[in-house]
Amino acid sequence: MATRRAPASRPLVTPAISQEEIDRQVQRAVERTLARNIPGLRLPAPELDIEVGQTPKELVYARETLRLYHYRPLLDEIYRVPVLIIMSPVSRGYILDLAAGQSFVEYLVLQGYDVYMIDWVAPRREHAALGIEAFVCEMINEAMEHVAADCGESDLTVIGYCLGGLLACLHAALYPRSGLKNLVCFTTPVNADGMTLYKQWVNSKAFDIDRLVAELGIIPGEMINASIQALRPLQRRANQLQLLNNVDNDAFVKANLRFDRWAADQLALPGQFTREFVRDFLRGNQLMDGTFHVGDKAIDLGQIRLPFLHVAAEYDHIVPTAASRDLIGLVGSKDKQEIIIKGGHVSLVAGGNAVYRLWPQLDRWLSTRSV
Amino acid sequence: MNDDDQLNPVRLWREWFVKSEKAWSQSLTDMMGDERFSKGMGRYMQEALHTHRMFSESMAQYLANLNLPSRQDILDLGDRLGQVEDALAAVQVELREVRTRLAQGVNVAPAATATQRPARTRRPPEQI
Repeated sequence: MATRRAPASRPLVTPAISQEEIDRQVQRAVERTLARNIPGLRLPAPELDIEVGQTPKELVYARETLRLYHYRPLLDEIYRVPVLIIMSPVSRGYILDLAAGQSFVEYLVLQGYDVYMIDWVAPRREHAALGIEAFVCEMINEAMEHVAADCGESDLTVIGYCLGGLLACLHAALYPRSGLKNLVCFTTPVNADGMTLYKQWVNSKAFDIDRLVAELGIIPGEMINASIQALRPLQRRANQLQLLNNVDNDAFVKANLRFDRWAADQLALPGQFTREFVRDFLRGNQLMDGTFHVGDKAIDLGQIRLPFLHVAAEYDHIVPTAASRDLIGLVGSKDKQEIIIKGGHVSLVAGGNAVYRLWPQLDRWLSTRSV
Repeated sequence: MNDDDQLNPVRLWREWFVKSEKAWSQSLTDMMGDERFSKGMGRYMQEALHTHRMFSESMAQYLANLNLPSRQDILDLGDRLGQVEDALAAVQVELREVRTRLAQGVNVAPAATATQRPARTRRPPEQI
């Protein structure tokens, strides 16, 4: 008869495990659990650092705060007329090239446009005296000459975003025979009366722009960011709460963090530029009555007589339509069009809505004028 | 997301806040657009600038006594770094020009192929 062997008794004392081993196992278990249950927490910060501005580009020209980039064409055949995007001097250009599939620049390149971009870098103290004239008559003018020399085409389409659109309009009005073939402005302010909060602030006698500029030289990006946040003070907090509600959605988390990073990444402005903008544009509203000057030259937007497209965002709280809708009437072009698209100041050009709303409409308008 | 999560009161509060944010923001913005607020903000800014100047001057002396870098020193360093970045940008531009010239030459260097340009003959789809 077979006898069952009694099971070996377990040792009463478990083998000693080092504290490091316990820490390591606990850390692994926590990481596994988080990775399994909360996908949003898997996002490593360095991944987000490299995800913006991924369309291949080369630096063509640099001076002071200007950087002119050329995006490498991806097709064998491109439109004859190159496109130059002028960014706002307070915004980083990567909002137009956030990530593959969400990049306005990539879209243009894939549609067959030869794309250049004027992106700005933060000014240093030595740039404090750069005014609107230096931006328009020197930096942008020279960048356009470099585009012409680089691609061998004298015609050019300019797309300006926000204040970049304003600079593009000033340039087009000053140099009507500069080879500019088409002008596109995204949400470009021309009527300061439509920017009620800024107007109210700078009109106050207590607001001394000269003293601010004299004291600081360069207006910090944080100050510009705070003034933009003041237009919708709780929006950032709401975005953060929305992020919490969608933390299990990887795509949402990534997109939200990219936008958030860009929104907080405002550029500083040279003091002289800020002074002229506040004094002549915001306080004086001089573009509307034709008394705005760049250097000693008066600006008449009626001198813009080339094909012109203005795109405004219906729910834009930074440049409300009240501040931009007069532009179409001021330019002297016969071939001009305005499109008002649902969306905000940023979602107009970047993000899911832009892919289906703005970009195809722009391509339809631009393609026939780029041959 | 499960049903329990849908009924989570904190989540519901967050959703309510997100939906009503625009109205709350508008109320705050209206308040900031008030004449008294504008005056107060202007005065605050003047005082802040004055305080900033006073504090910077006294702090600079204090830091110098402790043999520590002041804000001015950090700004100087930032400027120097910016100048180095400018120089790097100039080198990048020069390199690109050299590559373009190489690509236009008889012996095309392998690295220069990226600068070869496509034909500028594209037509809109509706014109083809």
